[in-house]
Amino acid sequence: MGSQKRIAKELAELVESPPEGIVVKLADESNLYTWNVYMDGPEGSPYYNGKFILNLSLPTEYPFKPPTVSFKTKIYHPNVTNDDKGSMCLGMLRADEWKPSSRIQAVLQFARQLLAEPMPDDAVEGRIAEQYKNDRKRYDEVAKEWTRKYAIAS
Amino acid sequence: MTSITLDELLAMEATCDRDEVVDLRSLETVSSYDDHLMCPICHCPFVRPVRLQCDHVFCQKCLNSAITAFAANRDDFTCPTCRTPTRGVYLNVPRLLLNMCDDIKVRCPCRNEGCPEIMPRGHVQSHVDKYCGYRLMKCPDSSCNKKTRKKNLSPEGRCLHEPHRCLRCDEYIMEQDYETSVLRKALREHIDTCPEVVHPCTASKYGCPVKVKRADLATHEQTCPLIAMGPYFEAQNARLDSLELTIRHLQQRNEIFEDGIANIRSTLVQSSRALADQESSPANSDPPRQESSSNQSQIDSSNLYTATTTNYLLSLHESLREEVGQLSHAITDLDARASMALMNECLRLKEDMAHTNAAVGSIRMQVQWLLNPRLHQGQRAGARPSNTNTGNGNPASTSGPSSAAGPSTAFLRPRRLSDSGREGTKL
Repeated sequence: MGSQKRIAKELAELVESPPEGIVVKLADESNLYTWNVYMDGPEGSPYYNGKFILNLSLPTEYPFKPPTVSFKTKIYHPNVTNDDKGSMCLGMLRADEWKPSSRIQAVLQFARQLLAEPMPDDAVEGRIAEQYKNDRKRYDEVAKEWTRKYAIAS
Repeated sequence: MTSITLDELLAMEATCDRDEVVDLRSLETVSSYDDHLMCPICHCPFVRPVRLQCDHVFCQKCLNSAITAFAANRDDFTCPTCRTPTRGVYLNVPRLLLNMCDDIKVRCPCRNEGCPEIMPRGHVQSHVDKYCGYRLMKCPDSSCNKKTRKKNLSPEGRCLHEPHRCLRCDEYIMEQDYETSVLRKALREHIDTCPEVVHPCTASKYGCPVKVKRADLATHEQTCPLIAMGPYFEAQNARLDSLELTIRHLQQRNEIFEDGIANIRSTLVQSSRALADQESSPANSDPPRQESSSNQSQIDSSNLYTATTTNYLLSLHESLREEVGQLSHAITDLDARASMALMNECLRLKEDMAHTNAAVGSIRMQVQWLLNPRLHQGQRAGARPSNTNTGNGNPASTSGPSSAAGPSTAFLRPRRLSDSGREGTKL
């Protein structure tokens, strides 16, 4: 399959020269399509010092279909659903926005960038987005609290 | 600059794919190449690139899969990079781009089979197709499903996969491997003798770090101090080994002795307790002291302990000797008594015997006295048998039955007389 070759190539690149604050591993050595991503909270954000585990799953049609990214670690963020799935809404991952030329590295860097700068206009958690816009201080506090509670222990 | 439609492009794919011997995407590249030569879809240097209206370039195959994977109507297909709606595809891309892609250095795909070739990517197809001797070919024998390197194929088209017995080592190997395995064996044998082979010094086990060619080894060995020391080390090793052995023996013996000592100690504790119980009645002050000393000695150093234990043993021995003496006294006493009783009994028995002897003697006397007249009568009767009746009447008291039978059977008389006469002589 053509997709496996490209995925293997991208994985090799990511393992060899990982972008800042991001480590990728296969969740299961025999399955190229599910990755575990370990992401450090970016400096200057309330998620700083937290270690977030993300799940990246690739469709068999990759790169023609976008991958999906979800947070396994609970996180207080306007663009991440506050449920068990922790699905993340990334603009570039939407089916009509996705381009086969996009790389996973770009996706992950974009996700990390989103931690530093949430996009409240594109939010999945309206309440948090509202708070982010109107009461930034309180949002920072809660996000820090959650980071300490869920993302540091592990 | 003619463009074709997407459908025409898809139709082309089937025809293009066939003449490819090698999958160019799986090649291992040796030289680094510019990222711009990389297809954004497969992330490999372009393979048969095609160009869209928006000037973005993709591999033909990648674009085909992009078109087939595109969800919406084919007429709405957008460029995978910039999403510009695209209808036409240009097959001609700048020659420069093709040349750069074909110039990337790659390894021969038969590298695992041993082909060391590195060549520009543009030459790979012809290399593998025509020149590479390591390409795996199907065996010419249609019944054999093994593969052979191209260079090893036999010119007569025989199957080389039949196992043959090696002349040197009796192993079964396939004919195609015969040459290489024989060569390998020869090489191994040669390495054992080759003067150029780098060899460690023979004293390397003693720590000589020198590694020289076999030819120079002799000169090194003459100067190597560790080789000179070699015999000494050997001797030392042997001594160490023997010492270890003896130590092990001694340890075993020591264990046995320790066991014995533990046994003795436990019996001692028991006996000392018993002794203390014994002696508590006659001398109250003595045994507690001894016991306490023995307790102390157990806690104290082993020297003290052994000293007190010998004392103990001696005292114990003394008391035991006393006991034995008492026992022997008692035994002699009993012995004397038993012998006295035996004597008494014997005397009595002897007296009885004498009595009975006397009685028997008197009885014999009486019997003789009684028999005498009969003997005399018998002698007389032998001379005159008519007188038997008179002689028979006198001793009626002693022989009743004979006297009753006497008168009727005068015939038997002499025999009876001789019988009794014989009895008389016996007594």
